[in-house]
Order: sequence, then C-alpha cells, then structure tokens
Amino acid sequence: MIRSVVFSTLLLIACTFIQSTWFGGVAVLGVTPDICLVVLIWVSYKNGPVEGPAAGFLSGLAEDVLSASPLGFHAFINSAVAATAALLHGSFFIDKLLLPVILGFAGTIAKALAAGALYLVFGSRVHAYSLFDRVLWIEAAYNALLAPLVFLLLGPLSRFLVAERERG
Amino acid sequence: MSDQPSRVDDRGSRAVAPILLVASLLCITVSTRSLEGIPESLGLTVFGFFQRGFSVVGELVSDTVASIAELRKLRDNFHELSAKLERYTNMERGLADLREENKRLKEQLGFSQEILYQRIAARIVAKDPENLYSTITIDKGFGDGVRKNMPVIAFQDGMEGLVGHVIEVGRGVSKIVPIYDSKSFIASRLSAGTRTEGLVGGQGSPYDPLLMRFVKKRTKDEIQFGDLVVTTGYESVYPAEVAVGRVKKVRVLEYQTSIDIELDPILDFSRIEYVFVVKPQNVLSIGSDK
Repeated sequence: MIRSVVFSTLLLIACTFIQSTWFGGVAVLGVTPDICLVVLIWVSYKNGPVEGPAAGFLSGLAEDVLSASPLGFHAFINSAVAATAALLHGSFFIDKLLLPVILGFAGTIAKALAAGALYLVFGSRVHAYSLFDRVLWIEAAYNALLAPLVFLLLGPLSRFLVAERERG
Repeated sequence: MSDQPSRVDDRGSRAVAPILLVASLLCITVSTRSLEGIPESLGLTVFGFFQRGFSVVGELVSDTVASIAELRKLRDNFHELSAKLERYTNMERGLADLREENKRLKEQLGFSQEILYQRIAARIVAKDPENLYSTITIDKGFGDGVRKNMPVIAFQDGMEGLVGHVIEVGRGVSKIVPIYDSKSFIASRLSAGTRTEGLVGGQGSPYDPLLMRFVKKRTKDEIQFGDLVVTTGYESVYPAEVAVGRVKKVRVLEYQTSIDIELDPILDFSRIEYVFVVKPQNVLSIGSDK
C-alpha cells in the first residue's frame, strides 16, 4: 500500500512539473490539460479508497506550493476527486476508449464542483470555475480526449501504482 | 465474528478520504489568514528546484531540434554580419562622441532612468500548473535580490510593458502574479489627453482583455481607440508611467456613473520569455519579507 502511494505521488508530482513547464505549447486558448487529474482518477479507480486520496492529497500540496492557490486548495480538490473515483472502484471494466473519456470529462466536472464548494466556504480567497466560462469546458474536453492515451500508458506501470491486493 | 477485523479495516479505509479533506480545509484556513508564509516559501524553494530541472530538460530538447535549422541560418548571417561589422566600425567613432555629449546633457538635466530603478533580468521557467490560477515562475529568487511585491516588467517590440508583481520568493525562484489575473488591480491612467484615471484588472486569461473600471463618465467622448494606458504609481507597488495596455472598447452603461474600458495588454504574454524585476528605491510597500 505504501509503495503504491509513494510511486503514485511521485508520478503525480512529475506530471505537475510537466504541466507547468512543457504544456505552454499545447494550450488551447490558454487552457492546458490536467494530466495530473487523469492519472489521479486512474490510480483511485484501480486502488480504492486509501491510495488514491492519499496520493491526491500529497501531490495536491505540491501543486499548491507551485501555484498561487492557498495551501490545501489542490490537496482538497484532489482528495475529493480521488475519493469520488474510488467509490467506483471495481464497478466497471475499463475499456480502451469510452470509459476513459467519460472518466476524464466527469473528473474535471467533479474538480470544478469541489472548487465551487471551497468558493462557497472561503469566498474570493480561492478561485473557482465559472459554468459559463470557456476554461472549464475546454479543460474537460481536453482531459476527456487525453484520458484514453494516459490510461493506456499507465497500464504497464500497474505494478508500481496499484496495491498488491488489487493486482491479485 | 471472523469478519470483524475486515470490517474494521474497511471502516479505516473509508475514513482516509474524510481525514484528508479535513486536513486540506485546515491548510486553506491557515494559509488564507496568512498566518504562515514559511511553508509555501520553503516548498517553493524545494519544488522550484525540480521545476527548473524540468524546464531545462524541455528546453534542451526543443533547443537541440531548433539549433539544427538555426545553424544553416547562422552561416548566412555570418557573411552578412561581417559586411555590416565593417560599416559599423566606421560609425563607432562618431557614436563615441555622441555618447559623451549625451551623458553630459543628462547630468545637466539631473535625470537618468538608471538612477530611478535597478532591474534584475530573469527567465520564465514555468507557469501555473492549473488553469484556475495564473502565476508565472522565474529563475531568480531571494539570493538574487528579488523581494515580495517587487514589480515586474518586460520589453516586447521595443515597448516596455507591465507584467505583474512578485507574490512569493524562494531561494532561486520566485512566483509572479500577472496583470491578467482576476485578483490583480493596478491604479492606471490614460497616457494622453485628459489623463483620466481608473483601476485596471484582469479577467484570468491572457487571451481576455484587461478591464479598466471606475473611469469618469464625462470623459467618454475623449477616449480614442488605441489610446495608451499607463500606471499612475500612486501608493502602488508599480512605478509610474509603465505601459499597461491600449484602449480596445469603451463600455457605457446608462445606469452607471462610471464607464468601463476594455484594454488589449501591451505585452503578448504567450511570447514572453524574459522579464525584469524592478528594484525601486523609494517604494515603501516593499519589505524585507521573503
């Protein structure tokens, strides 16, 4: 369990670095995909209610340090999204296209809802998505499109990212 | 009876997420009240180191590809420049005389921009990993003289423009909040004509126009498309007369006592690679805090 949390956290932090340094060139109208979120959904779905939220929380803290968000903002969002994805743990068989697309899109919406919940509590001290702004929908579409590829690439890394009990 | 331990395990597993969510909320509560700036600064120093590493690797790959094509260009440029050099060597003699004369005149006027503020050149190494926030990370930090709240400018197409200000400083990296951030506000005025003042704010994206608010309604007929808007320098972290944007559209609403002006930022933020952190000498709001 600890091994998968450590590897998942390291992978998520590496994704954060990649997002902040290399993704400027692939931005659509200034919006970049959230690869971290897609990886987190996969890790949480595969592992269940412990490893995903734990890795999401730790990588979220790292994301908060690199971002202008208050410390704990991304930790909360990642934990909430991971906990939601973990609820679906083992409910479906992940195919190569349809389910990753749905999970990528729904995960972005869940992230927006979590940010919205924080906005209700903390007000203007935190940022939230607007339903009528293009950013949320471009990011959701981008994440949905990239999810099948990311899920495919994560498959061979299962022995590092998924707890032994889940691998059988 | 036999499944009791597994039930306990199950309950323990399900408690992880709520515990982490509560821990996250505690973190936000502490950080939004600004009780501690230390964890962020330390974290930025550590993670900034790795972030710079990723930036360097990314640049190394793209530079290698670009440099192959560039080598060909360089060969042609070399011949062209050799010819130019010969011409410029002749011009240099005259230039030295002019420079000396210019220096003397400046001294007599008692005005020199270099005396107003020093600049720390920095390279942009990363942007915010998230779309919700819009910070820019540069490769200069506390060790290079960068301090919190210092203004940041850049030059593009021969124009000096405002980038934003420093919000957090690590040992070798700093975070800047750009002027297009939705939480950024700059006291500004129109450069020409009425010198009308207003408050410029961003809308969260470099692709959206900046918004100048609280502009007096009676000045609406004097505002022209393309008019330059600059900083006022009033009680601000920003020096005066730095270009912010150009008038794109004037919004007049009958029920409002003021008008809103949409501005095109003076800088194209997607193309900026280098910036200058300004060290003003007489700005009181810049403290010694990291």
